[in-house]
Amino acid sequence: MEKNYIIAGFGGQGVLFAGKVLANAFMLAGKNVTWYPCYGAEMRGGTVNCEIVVSDDEVSSVHKQDVDCVIALNQLSFDRFISRIKKGGMLICNSSLIEEIRPREDISYIFSPMTDKAVDSGNPKLTNMVSLGVLSNEETALNVEILEKAIDIVLPEERKKLAKSNMEAIMLGIDKLVTA
Amino acid sequence: MVSYSDKQLIKGNYAIAEASVKAGCECYFGYPITPQTEIGEYLSQRMYDLKRGYVCAESELAAINMVIGAVSTGAKAMTSSSSCAVALMQEALSYACSDELPVVLINVMRAGPGLGYIYPAQGDYFQSVYGGGNGDYKLTVLAPSNVQECIDLTYRAFYLAQKWRNPTMVLADGLLGQMMEPASFGEYPYPEVDNSSWALTGAKGREGRAIYSCARDEDEHNAKIRRLFEKYDLIAKEETTWEEFNTEDADVVLVAFGSMTRNIKAAMKVLRSQGIKAGAFRPVTLSPFPTERLNQLADSVDKFVVVEMNMGQMINDVKLAVNGKSDVKLVNRPVGEWLSVEEIVAGVKNIIGDKTYASV
Repeated sequence: MEKNYIIAGFGGQGVLFAGKVLANAFMLAGKNVTWYPCYGAEMRGGTVNCEIVVSDDEVSSVHKQDVDCVIALNQLSFDRFISRIKKGGMLICNSSLIEEIRPREDISYIFSPMTDKAVDSGNPKLTNMVSLGVLSNEETALNVEILEKAIDIVLPEERKKLAKSNMEAIMLGIDKLVTA
Repeated sequence: MVSYSDKQLIKGNYAIAEASVKAGCECYFGYPITPQTEIGEYLSQRMYDLKRGYVCAESELAAINMVIGAVSTGAKAMTSSSSCAVALMQEALSYACSDELPVVLINVMRAGPGLGYIYPAQGDYFQSVYGGGNGDYKLTVLAPSNVQECIDLTYRAFYLAQKWRNPTMVLADGLLGQMMEPASFGEYPYPEVDNSSWALTGAKGREGRAIYSCARDEDEHNAKIRRLFEKYDLIAKEETTWEEFNTEDADVVLVAFGSMTRNIKAAMKVLRSQGIKAGAFRPVTLSPFPTERLNQLADSVDKFVVVEMNMGQMINDVKLAVNGKSDVKLVNRPVGEWLSVEEIVAGVKNIIGDKTYASV
């Protein structure tokens, strides 16, 4: 089975980094995976996104029109990608920056105040990691151990000290009690 | 307990760059251009660390001619570029073929013609396979379809260039260059080729040598070109590679090169699940092209559908191979978003006339 994810937000929200962590996590979970960024002029000032395609078989294609799951970190991304989600797909939203409305009835929504949680944890830059925690609640292939290992892979040597705060942010996303 | 894969998630451009290092590339000369700039970026540090040669050239023209200079001395060297900048290198490629020099060139295609744009496309098939340089010559051209093959075919490019003393190109695209996939490098799997009989290493203790692209007179010139083409025939005989899937009983065979291969394989599976006997064929070497095998397949296949991100370039070689035995049709988009599996399925159904399969 093949499934694709789009993570989207402002440049600077760590969209590509979160995508790399997620792609590594799926790889560590034994899946075939392809990570593909938007690149070029789009990156300068506007929204950034990356697509991650996960499959038990060979990944067929990237750059797909339809998406199984979108993680929107800002309102622009919500507006841009909601129409591309497949029927029955999922939209995970950063409700700190996105209005909690549900324009489509054929998809499911998760609203979580990711930026607020990241601010509470001491660093608003960790919104992206909170979103991965939220996603991991929905994905059986992902767990804390795998995400921790994935962060270790993606963080360059000189930034390894940030692994701890990244994991704490993921835990805030996982913690459903705080969400409620 | 989680079993961790030994592979690493790596971008196609970085995969090509590191593979060139592992293949023993001693000198890199390049000029930045999207979507392949990461190759030069990566090597600027890596080659420095390894005390190998790295020059950010003043132009693409300079870069490819620096490669010619380096490989003339027997060093392994390469450059990388993209489409409109590879166009600037065509003169040098004609020279390198005539000089019989093991130049390695990576083209990570962007969209053309002209300056075009930085999103991916496959518009350089003609440029690579038929060339923009003058005279009769042929490059060896390899087209990877995923990040692992970016590594494998970069290794092979260095080997084939050395083995045949012929410029060899890896024809990737912006999609492959920018995407990350799990891949492993292993060790460079090919033997080192002895170039002591021709490399210009200084004439100490032996007769002086020179490498000329031209012959001294007409007879010699004719003989030289014929000899070059005998070599190209040998390359075709020994090095032509392709992949085919479900072709044994196929009525319709999808043909694609490079990263579009993945999409036609997925489309083939969808068509099969709907009762249409579809197969897939993918040349790994674009030059030499698997002409003979396609011609054999045409004995049993009704239709070939060529799927390309251009206005129809490889389709000409498929038509030449099929030589009128079967119908050859095109499903294409000039540039940008890769044709989706659904679009390819719809295109194939449209071409074969879905009536036959109305009951499915």
